[in-house]
Amino acid sequence: MIEKFDFKSSELERDAPKEMMLLSIISQSFFQPFSLEDNLLVTLTALTSGSGVGFNRAMLFLREGDRLKGEMWLGPGSAQEAGDIWEVLSTPGIGYIEIVEHNRALVRKNEDTLSRRIRDLVYAAGEGNALIPALASCRKEILLVKGAREEPLVDRRFLDIIQVDEFLCIPLLARDEVLGEIVLDNAITRTPIGPGDIKLASLCGLIAGNYIYSAGLHRKLLDMEKTAAMGEMAMFVTHQIRNPIVAIGGFADQLLQPGLPEDKRERNIRIIREEIHRLEHIIFQMGHFLKVSLKEPVYFDPAPVISSVLDSPEVQAKKPAYEMRVELEDGLPRLFCDPTSFGEVLRNLLDNAFDATPPGGRVSVRGYRKTNGWYVLSVRDTGKGITNPDKDRLFKPFFTTKEKGMGLGLPFIKRVMDTCGGQVEVRSRVGGGALFKLYFQYREGE
Amino acid sequence: MNKRILLVEDEKPLCLLYEEELSKEGYDVTAVTDADAALEALDKDPFDLIVTDIRMPGKDGIELITHIMGRRRDIPIIINTAYQSYKEDFMTWAADAYVVKSSSLDELKAKIRQLLDR
Repeated sequence: MIEKFDFKSSELERDAPKEMMLLSIISQSFFQPFSLEDNLLVTLTALTSGSGVGFNRAMLFLREGDRLKGEMWLGPGSAQEAGDIWEVLSTPGIGYIEIVEHNRALVRKNEDTLSRRIRDLVYAAGEGNALIPALASCRKEILLVKGAREEPLVDRRFLDIIQVDEFLCIPLLARDEVLGEIVLDNAITRTPIGPGDIKLASLCGLIAGNYIYSAGLHRKLLDMEKTAAMGEMAMFVTHQIRNPIVAIGGFADQLLQPGLPEDKRERNIRIIREEIHRLEHIIFQMGHFLKVSLKEPVYFDPAPVISSVLDSPEVQAKKPAYEMRVELEDGLPRLFCDPTSFGEVLRNLLDNAFDATPPGGRVSVRGYRKTNGWYVLSVRDTGKGITNPDKDRLFKPFFTTKEKGMGLGLPFIKRVMDTCGGQVEVRSRVGGGALFKLYFQYREGE
Repeated sequence: MNKRILLVEDEKPLCLLYEEELSKEGYDVTAVTDADAALEALDKDPFDLIVTDIRMPGKDGIELITHIMGRRRDIPIIINTAYQSYKEDFMTWAADAYVVKSSSLDELKAKIRQLLDR
């Protein structure tokens, strides 16, 4: 017998041991399209997610160049607030997403007095004579401070803010590099910090360090990809723009020659007009692709967007020549994506399907839930299909098999899907049509 | 008898422009828009010179030239492309002349004359 389990369990096991609970919260955040800030928030949340688990408060410093700077401080400001928060968090049915969202709202709220209080705490990183809390990062050691008010190595300004006698400093390390620090305390419950707590916290510190490290690598990689793409783009644009310019110039020269018959004059003017139109299209597409950032994904109702794409004049104009099928499972859920980008993605896929398929062929759109937690929207055509070598290059900017394509549609789709933590998959064989599947995270209608 | 030129250019307006302008120069021009059509034409008729683009859907200009070299080594070839940067890569082995597309066809015409008079 084989039993299947899902990685993406959305609920915490409340009776699980706290070590499991912590790891569960943090590891599940990997499945979310969270930003670095959000992932760190998950870690802080995991460390402070209830009176029985972990610590009361967690403070985060991040390394910026050669400085260590206060970023975020999570936890209740008073016993009253603690009671309120812990009550919310222990409500049955509250999953880690809700907890993180609750904390995110808290941190971003202007009245988030805790985080505001530490944002101007800045220490030189790597200085030999640093004071606590920076000392832990300088020494790359976990430091448990007891009797802080009597300890001369504790920065007085820091002590004025944190106002506890006992706290734990965990440097965030990756590859022996200090990337930040977490400071933890039990200011409300006054529970002493035990060896078990220290072990757990250090584990979270390692994970947080690696979050920051991999986020940094990812940023570098994106920069490198951008530079390479710019080079390719410059070359491609030269080609794309030169051709219409040569045509415009050549046919204009003919117009200037005496004795050109009237029909040819008209034809030349028409060609010049069309080529200018093409140049405009190229510039529009480039501008569209180069848009610096896409909008943040949200959970939205895709039904009106899908209808507006299917009812658009462009799709309606193509429809009569094709057999078009639309099968959407009843009760569309809310998908996680920026709605405008979602519409453009669907439009792009339909354009490609129509372009690849000779009239008389079939283009189908399907939407359905997969058992593994994804919602799939697929576009299938019965067109010429895609060769294997082309399949590898499909999502690279400026690769195109269309006579006048820019090769920017599928890279755009990839970018959108990456931004919303989804996936795009292609299946095709030469002569056998193509199937593009988009995988979205979803929630049932609210 | 007029010299015969095989012109390979996937951009239809450009194909038309080159065909007309080179015909005016007194050449017999056969214009095709892809490499397969070019190879077909080469099988059917003798040509004195080939003008080809590089970036084309399907077989590109370099594949076309490789095919031609496998069959006939005696026809001069001019690469006529929008890419400046390919010149060093291909001039030495693939073509007798390399012209970067321009709205003035003077350079292309001059190179054709030069190669056909040789």
